[in-house]
Amino acid sequence: MIEIYHLYKKYLKNELYALKDINLIIDRGEFVFVVGHSGSGKSTLLKLLLREILPTKGSIKIFGRDITRLKNREIPFLRRNIGMVFQDFRLLEDRNVFENVAFSLRVIGTSPREIRKRVPLTLELVGLKNKAFKRPHELSGGEQQRVCVARAIVNRPAMLLADEPTGNLDPATSMEIMTLFQDINIRGTTVIVATHAKDIVDHFQKRVVVLENNQLVSDQERGAYFNAR
Amino acid sequence: MHVRSLLYFIGEAFKSIARNGWMSIASIGVVSITLLILGSFMVLSYNVDLFTQDKKEQLQIVLFLDEAGNEETILELQKKLASHPRLEEARFVSKEEAMERLKAQLGDRAYLLEGIDSAEENPLRDRYQLRTKVPEDIPVVAKEIEKYPGVGYLDYGKGVVEPLFQLTGLVRWIGLAFMAGLAATAIFLIAHTIRLTVYIRRREIMIMKYVGATDWFIRWPFIFEGSILGIVGAIVPLFVIYYGYEAAAHWLQSNVYFITLIPTENIMEEIIKIIIPLGVVLGVLGSSISVRRFLKV
Ligand SMILES: Nc1ncnc2c1ncn2[C@@H]1O[C@H](COP(=O)(O)OP(=O)(O)OP(=O)(O)O)[C@@H](O)[C@H]1O
Ligand SMILES: [Mg+2]
Repeated sequence: MIEIYHLYKKYLKNELYALKDINLIIDRGEFVFVVGHSGSGKSTLLKLLLREILPTKGSIKIFGRDITRLKNREIPFLRRNIGMVFQDFRLLEDRNVFENVAFSLRVIGTSPREIRKRVPLTLELVGLKNKAFKRPHELSGGEQQRVCVARAIVNRPAMLLADEPTGNLDPATSMEIMTLFQDINIRGTTVIVATHAKDIVDHFQKRVVVLENNQLVSDQERGAYFNAR
Repeated sequence: MHVRSLLYFIGEAFKSIARNGWMSIASIGVVSITLLILGSFMVLSYNVDLFTQDKKEQLQIVLFLDEAGNEETILELQKKLASHPRLEEARFVSKEEAMERLKAQLGDRAYLLEGIDSAEENPLRDRYQLRTKVPEDIPVVAKEIEKYPGVGYLDYGKGVVEPLFQLTGLVRWIGLAFMAGLAATAIFLIAHTIRLTVYIRRREIMIMKYVGATDWFIRWPFIFEGSILGIVGAIVPLFVIYYGYEAAAHWLQSNVYFITLIPTENIMEEIIKIIIPLGVVLGVLGSSISVRRFLKV
């Protein structure tokens, strides 16, 4: 599903590479943690997958296509197949939970009938069935993150990316959110989570990719945080 | 474009207009003033045109033939006049015909011409009556024709028509420059309003990009917002002109009897065709500038 070969990324004006010679293959249905110190390049990797930025060198194949060669007008269609979850939720404060989730369907032209069907189902899946008409500020951090997840998956993307999704949450809530990711993964969605949360990574026993000094230094099935060296 | 998307864009545009409040009103205001001035100008000039049409059509060049000229030069001159691109008509009037006309004009005082109205004594000259396609061309054409061989002299209200045409030309240019300035202000204000919307909506735009909205889906609401500002800005002056014109026509008809105005319906039909599209153009131009500069999609 994802094939990355000899991927380099150096931001303009920076001396050092943010990512150096990354090679990585992720299959359909996998659950992958990407871990590493601050500045090791985790966010950069996710941004490359979303085609938010272009690599300096190397190729990224997603669904069999080299996304570094997409035309600008093709990028939206790549993103419709990739859900994105953020550390800071990025919800729209001026509308309720239902509308926040419906937003990602409306802007890609989904019919109202489909929206009325799909949004409640998704809210149920993330456990927010009875909070549909609350505004984001009326929700706890964990609930807000669930809205963000619902918004990311309501379009049934093949892949879900999360950049430190539990960075703003307490340990118990973090565990709940990660369990939600696991549920989503079990339903067939490929999930990639960049995180610092050692306890969580150790607990879930999933594949762990470790970035250090902007290089990929370890890639283990059923890994633990920093057990590679 | 899908009807559903269209409704979405228009809905979003109206929301922004309401949210931007005073900026929207200012934009509409400047568009309105620009188009009100243009519209009034048009109304005035249509009516003035109607009024001066006959007067202008009476303007002509009278070319008196050089009496020393022989038949050959006259024939040559005739050819030149007939093929002149700016001339509408070149009518030959013999001196006998001119004498008849003069008599007719004098009516019962035609006796004044007795003694000089015979073929031998006739003091009048053979002449051409020239009409240009555009009245404003008269001075230029006259200057050119003056030099043709066989021409005695010309009579075209020299020294009167030039300043007249210069003045009307000047007024037109000043009006145009003034309106261009206003139009630029209108475009600038709309661009500024749209920029404000882009700023207010930056979060939404970011999320739209993440969930895969196309660039045009993101842009359209802003273009619509600009167009709506432009259209509303065009409708306001149309109402003002309609009622203003009705009132003016009413007043003129009861106070100044000899003036006939173009009927309100006809004149509105004419200016709507210009004002509404212009409003849209101002709106679309303004929003395109902002979308291009501030909406990084
Ligand atoms: N937009 C940018 N412009 C320039 N340099 C950047 C940019 N984004 C990231 N970098 C640099 O690239 C390197 C990798 O950053 P990245 O954000 O990918 O790290 P990270 O692993 O996500 O860190 P964190 O755990 O703190 O989120 C860092 O040195 C960072 O300074
Ligand atoms: Mg990061």
